[in-house]
Amino acid sequence: MTDASRGRRPLLVAGLLAGLLVASAALVPLIADARPAREIPIENVDQSLADPGADGWSEVPAATVPLASAPSGVPNADDTTVRAVEVEAAQSDETLFVRLRWADSSTDRETNSPRAFPDMAAIQFPVNATTQPAIAMGSQRNLVNVWQWAGTGTTQELLAGGPGSTTAFEQPQVSVEATRATIGEDDGWSVVFTRELNASVDNRTQLAADADLNVAFGIWNGENSERAGQKAVSEWYYFPFGPDEGGAPFQMILWAVAGIAIALVIAVTAISVRRAGQEGESE
Amino acid sequence: MAHENIDIADGVDHQVAMVMDLNKCIGCQTCTVACETLWTEREGTEYMYWNNVETRPGKGYPRDWESKGGGWESEEHNERSVGEIPSQQDYGENWEFDHEGILKEGEDKALKPENTDPEWGPNWDEDQGAGEHPNNYYFYFPRICNHCTHPSCVEACPRKALYKREEDGVVLVDQERCRGYRYCVEGCPYKKVYYNAVTKRSEKCVFCYPRIEGEGPDGETHPPACADQCTTQLRLVGYLDDQDGPIYKLVEQYEVALPLHPEYQTTPNVYYIPPVAPPQHSDDGETVDVERIPRSYLEELFGEQVNDALDTIERERAKVERGGHSELMEILQDKNPAQQYRLEVFADD
Repeated sequence: MTDASRGRRPLLVAGLLAGLLVASAALVPLIADARPAREIPIENVDQSLADPGADGWSEVPAATVPLASAPSGVPNADDTTVRAVEVEAAQSDETLFVRLRWADSSTDRETNSPRAFPDMAAIQFPVNATTQPAIAMGSQRNLVNVWQWAGTGTTQELLAGGPGSTTAFEQPQVSVEATRATIGEDDGWSVVFTRELNASVDNRTQLAADADLNVAFGIWNGENSERAGQKAVSEWYYFPFGPDEGGAPFQMILWAVAGIAIALVIAVTAISVRRAGQEGESE
Repeated sequence: MAHENIDIADGVDHQVAMVMDLNKCIGCQTCTVACETLWTEREGTEYMYWNNVETRPGKGYPRDWESKGGGWESEEHNERSVGEIPSQQDYGENWEFDHEGILKEGEDKALKPENTDPEWGPNWDEDQGAGEHPNNYYFYFPRICNHCTHPSCVEACPRKALYKREEDGVVLVDQERCRGYRYCVEGCPYKKVYYNAVTKRSEKCVFCYPRIEGEGPDGETHPPACADQCTTQLRLVGYLDDQDGPIYKLVEQYEVALPLHPEYQTTPNVYYIPPVAPPQHSDDGETVDVERIPRSYLEELFGEQVNDALDTIERERAKVERGGHSELMEILQDKNPAQQYRLEVFADD
């Protein structure tokens, strides 16, 4: 090895490390922006997004929520067809809008004959916003509130305390607009659930509770005779209604400390390498 | 309780029961109309016949109901056979006729369904039966809900909307709890629970419980309308555990009244006296000593017990022909009409 090549090597290493530094500095903010896996972001809006085709939805980030057959004792409980639902949420001063979009090539709007079952979608919340009830319709101690839309055009607001206990509110406050849409490359549904943030009665989930709110999703494919416990469901996710956007600054501080530490290590390494090189040349 | 030796459901005080003598049914459908008039002249019930009379052999109502599953896998009653929901075509659609135009406005056209060109419907195969002339055969078969001792419809409902009444074992659908899932429709092997697409709930024969409770305008106890209106009075109504009544004697003592398809393991509480047809004829019209309705067919419906039942009936009939006395023949001939409907025997319990 020549003296000249030996002299260039520390510079090369330092350059590489500097490149890494720049790359990590660019990546850190991206990683810090990534939301926790189970969070469904809520976009603040100043107009109604009750219409699933409203322009405002293009500004709202979507979360893809995987679905699996719900554990249930009903026949054919494992036979469900919908694998994922795209969830978007937006809130105005007084109202929450949740848009669900999923692929389902058959349009099932009827219950007009013995074998006809409609497509359906549901959103489940704990009645007590600070709790996480049993995922399958809650329990007697820990009730859930369910908003259920059916392809027949009907929407029900339900209260449940475990499987088989579903009871409809007589005066539902949830409204729904639904339309057929293109989801990726497939036909499917685009459905917006709308409800005021404030709950007016007992057993109705308070959405503006200043705490993160658990939420789960369920989809039924009517063509496959899916109903009751034969449904595709998610795990619990959450809407970040809590203060300070769910502790993101703490995460930012951690990333910043890590970034500075990396930069320092790189700088010290580069300086050490250079000094070692200079000492080698002077010998 | 009066039912130490009788299999009635846990938690049920007494079990209502009905015996239908198939030898007396003339297929007039008066029972069907009585039931329809009382219970199913509402929106969404147009296609339903809680009571129907089908021709046997035949596909029945709904079509091929015996091949649609339901009931229990075994007599342990711990695993259900899921079953399937009959299609609207299997039941037959609601045909609309222009009675107004033809009968009142004198329109010159045939009276036929205006809204559809049907290819099937209730009693589409009426009187067809089976066999070849001169030994063809058929009989009429009235069917209602069997108000089973082990009702698979009750077990099928994830919401416990169906239940068996404590006082008399009548199986009912709580319309407040029902959400129209139709697991009961597919779970009943007799296909006697129906989905109402207007109310979006399932419904079924209620054994005319307001009548047997005496809740009508006259305050009197009445048998179910299908039994009361029957032109040949072929039905006995009472309690299986009323050991002094004719139903107990026919079912438990003489064992000539049999449940339909016992292999479904639901233990029905509607029982049938099996049909006895005239013997076969030879080609030149002579009577030959061969049963017209094959035993194998009756075994398909009632199980092997039908052989003993028919033998007992034949033996008792021969006894009377010889001038003897037979309690069984007296019961089957309604010699004591006061015994036909025994609905107040446990009224003081």
